[in-house]
Amino acid sequence: MAAWDLKDKAAVCGVGHSPYGRRLNRSPIDLAGEALRHALDDAGLSRDALDGLIVSFGTPIGVDADTLASTLGLKLTMYNQTWAHGRFTASCIQWAALAVTAGLAKAVACLAALSFSGVRRPMMGGAGDHEGAREAGGGHGEDPVYGMTSPGAGAALVAQKYFQRFGATSRQLAAVPVAFRHHASLNPGAILRTPITVEDHQHSRLVCAPLHLLDYCLINDGAACVIVTTSERARDLQQRPVYLSGMQGLPGGRDEFIWAYPGFGMAQQAEFDYHAGLQPVYQRAGVTPADIDALFTYDAFSILVWMALERFGFCRPGEAAAFTQEGRIALGGALPMNTNGGLLSEGHIMGWNHHVEIVRQLRGACGERQVGHAQIIQWANAYGDSLIYRR
Amino acid sequence: MATYPKPLPAISPLNAPYWEGLKRHQLQLQRCQDCGTIWYPPAPFCPGCWSRQVAWQTLSGRGTVTAWVVFHQAYFASFTADVPYNVAEVALDEGPRLLTNLVEVENDAITIGMPVEIVFDDVTDAVTLAKFRPRRHAYAP
Repeated sequence: MAAWDLKDKAAVCGVGHSPYGRRLNRSPIDLAGEALRHALDDAGLSRDALDGLIVSFGTPIGVDADTLASTLGLKLTMYNQTWAHGRFTASCIQWAALAVTAGLAKAVACLAALSFSGVRRPMMGGAGDHEGAREAGGGHGEDPVYGMTSPGAGAALVAQKYFQRFGATSRQLAAVPVAFRHHASLNPGAILRTPITVEDHQHSRLVCAPLHLLDYCLINDGAACVIVTTSERARDLQQRPVYLSGMQGLPGGRDEFIWAYPGFGMAQQAEFDYHAGLQPVYQRAGVTPADIDALFTYDAFSILVWMALERFGFCRPGEAAAFTQEGRIALGGALPMNTNGGLLSEGHIMGWNHHVEIVRQLRGACGERQVGHAQIIQWANAYGDSLIYRR
Repeated sequence: MATYPKPLPAISPLNAPYWEGLKRHQLQLQRCQDCGTIWYPPAPFCPGCWSRQVAWQTLSGRGTVTAWVVFHQAYFASFTADVPYNVAEVALDEGPRLLTNLVEVENDAITIGMPVEIVFDDVTDAVTLAKFRPRRHAYAP
């Protein structure tokens, strides 16, 4: 393997998004077009300066790269698209960084557009959920013949096992949605902005026990876009570049389950004591976890925040329950997380909204929810991929 | 048999022997004849050593609960009458983990580590599901 030499070689030069809402009654192409337009305007780039496109998710909830390119009259030299699954957000941005630094494209728009309200049959669980029909099983443990369906049920299995193994409680887990809702209350673009309490969480209905409704993210509509170019070019554009300092891709194999780190013993994972060590993303970015000013993660379900913290070594296995108490992951805390409100409260744009927020934090443009002196921000997930950005 | 309203398995050339085994009331998984690995879900060759010397072997049907959830929401209309119903992950004594429903036990009596044994549920003429109940016999079946 070649040595890592892409530190700070690519940068985000523009971000944009559509409104987020529960029932926008707008098509994914419409939403994507708006996000892309705003991102280009943000970067100060013309449409024709864009020659690459990487789309996450696609039909039926999202937009597809080919039809988007033709509908918007783009002139692309490369495009790519992931399958209809939320785990590829950072991968898209990573591939864009590889493409621009390798000379495959000059500026690559990475985006997702979602219209969950526009599909006839709900896809997140039940008869319209294709995951359970995959040969060799669903990506989150779906097994419909036993009524095992929906991504959240896989997360609930992890939560139950976590609670019992480490003596943690649902009440402790409430700290995650409570903190993120506080952040959303400071974000005019967030879908859910009314503050919640631990008691609200405990009294919200059980969806798939032990997870309550307030452990679940939103299902909504919206689009968000991140434009990646070389750092050299970004410095000539109108926004302060936000550099891609380090990255690590999605780990795969039998030791991986999307909602649990290796060793946790879910699905066919071997069971062993997990030690995070120093994840490669830190070495590649030349920083340590102690240098991270804010952390963002894919919080489709609150338990994933605990798994991400432990996976990346912010605390040891079993410690995240205590680590997330007393405002530590809220603005003003030692490690602010998902300052936009997360998937849990700003909206489920598969984390693309988080990347928009990271860039704005590093530009110092987050107003009331600005993390003071933010220099280095990390995206890191329960499922193991990561990006480290710096201003 | 009345029409069975719940989802049925997607049977493929790869997993058909598993479902045929259950229909005969045998829990069978593939075992590598070269390295001895037993695995789930079915695979074209051993995930450990990639040997194609693979045989379907009848297992004990015993295991322990490693995680469980209780559905309070009926995502499938056909499960509406069942909520709240459990789904458990069971680690078979031979190693692989299966998802299943636990029967003959109240949801609030389920614990991780609970020893369980297989119950064959003939849901249609063609399909039998592998469910589990608290273990009754030390040396069954």
